Amino acid sequence: MSTSNQLSLENICCIRGNNTLFTSLNSIAINGDILRIRGENGSGKTSLLRIIAGITSPDDGQVLWNGERINKSDSFASDIAYLAHRDGIKNEFTALENLRFYQQLYHQNNPQELLDILTALDISHTAYIPARQLSFGQRRRLGFARLLLASTKLWLLDEPFTGIDVEGRSLLEQHCLNFLNKGGIIVLTHHAEIENSALIAREKSIDLTTFNPIYTHAETETA
Amino acid sequence: MNNTATQIGNFSSFSLFVSRESALLWSNQENIVQPLFFFLITVSLFPFSLGNDPELLKTIMPSVSWVAIVLAIMMSLSSLFRGDYEDGSLEQWLIGNRSLSLISLAKVLVYWLFNGVFLSILACIVCLASNIDLEHIKVLFISLLLGTISLQLIGGIGAALTVTIERSGLLIAIVVLPLFIPILIFGAGAVVRSVSGESVTGALYTLATLSVLAITFAPFGMSFALRNTIE
Repeated sequence: MSTSNQLSLENICCIRGNNTLFTSLNSIAINGDILRIRGENGSGKTSLLRIIAGITSPDDGQVLWNGERINKSDSFASDIAYLAHRDGIKNEFTALENLRFYQQLYHQNNPQELLDILTALDISHTAYIPARQLSFGQRRRLGFARLLLASTKLWLLDEPFTGIDVEGRSLLEQHCLNFLNKGGIIVLTHHAEIENSALIAREKSIDLTTFNPIYTHAETETA
Repeated sequence: MNNTATQIGNFSSFSLFVSRESALLWSNQENIVQPLFFFLITVSLFPFSLGNDPELLKTIMPSVSWVAIVLAIMMSLSSLFRGDYEDGSLEQWLIGNRSLSLISLAKVLVYWLFNGVFLSILACIVCLASNIDLEHIKVLFISLLLGTISLQLIGGIGAALTVTIERSGLLIAIVVLPLFIPILIFGAGAVVRSVSGESVTGALYTLATLSVLAITFAPFGMSFALRNTIE
């Protein structure tokens, strides 16, 4: 992962119904950056992540990956890993089969890597169990496992620590830190504070309320 | 990544999705068995309601089979994308410029292999049991194979449009039924013409044309519908 990567958000605007959630949002993240999206419930944190992932298109502005628009970029789909509320795990498949599918989707085939990842997340004992039998926490860890597949360079994490115990959490934070040290980029939302101090030190934040036109307008009026 | 590499990538992801869908459908066998049972129940009710008239059954059975298959396929449509939408898999495929049309085509083809083809075979067995001549059954089988693939592809667009709606069965029916009617007319028409001794090539060629058109355009329709329905 020695190549340099850059994610830039240019003038992003997101409108839901009659509400403008945020507008003129600009930001840049490069190798080793962790970008935390802050904001109240309903302020558009998930919407922004979905825009960055290219699942929804912004109402204005564009998202660039290494200077290319994400829906034009050939490498983007294999560089990015998005962990959402819905984890993309098939109940019918075992933990290993689920992970293998995503590995193949990234056009790779390395059975050893899959087992290593499951071991690294402390869920190797679930490898051959159908995902429907996993506990909520184990399932979240399995969702996280997809991120560790070698080719990913950008992680989008939507509340990644929900439902995960304390040990699991410090494990995941450590994995995030390792990923950053290898030159990865993380964009995440989460409510509870991060505990890993090395991770906090690198955190940059975007506060969505500052990009909300109504809120900003009210501010100036009171001032 | 240059063009050839992208094409290889697309092809390998197509086969990846074909194997994934087959495995999924195999572990959710109710999706295979349900349309078959629905079909069997529907066609077996006709002899009961029409009384013991073998000649009448012989004339109506091919058309009844066609209607039952159209309904069976319509009922199976809502499960096409729903599972993948609910667990978030669909979102994962929307990321980047992954070819959603190839993915949908792979999905529908697998569904066709397990639903359309099985239903066609079952219909032939049912018609054989009502003492219909083998040459008409051949026509029925070909018309069903050509017809079911168009039905499932066109139905796939309806399923994609309604993927975010929880009980979408009725809505899908309203969306796709008008589009199913031409296929039903030519499909059932082919068998009727065969029974009355007329030439069937016209109807079969029309069905073949429709299925080629569906294979060519429906994947783009599904992809477009999915990208625009999932917000």
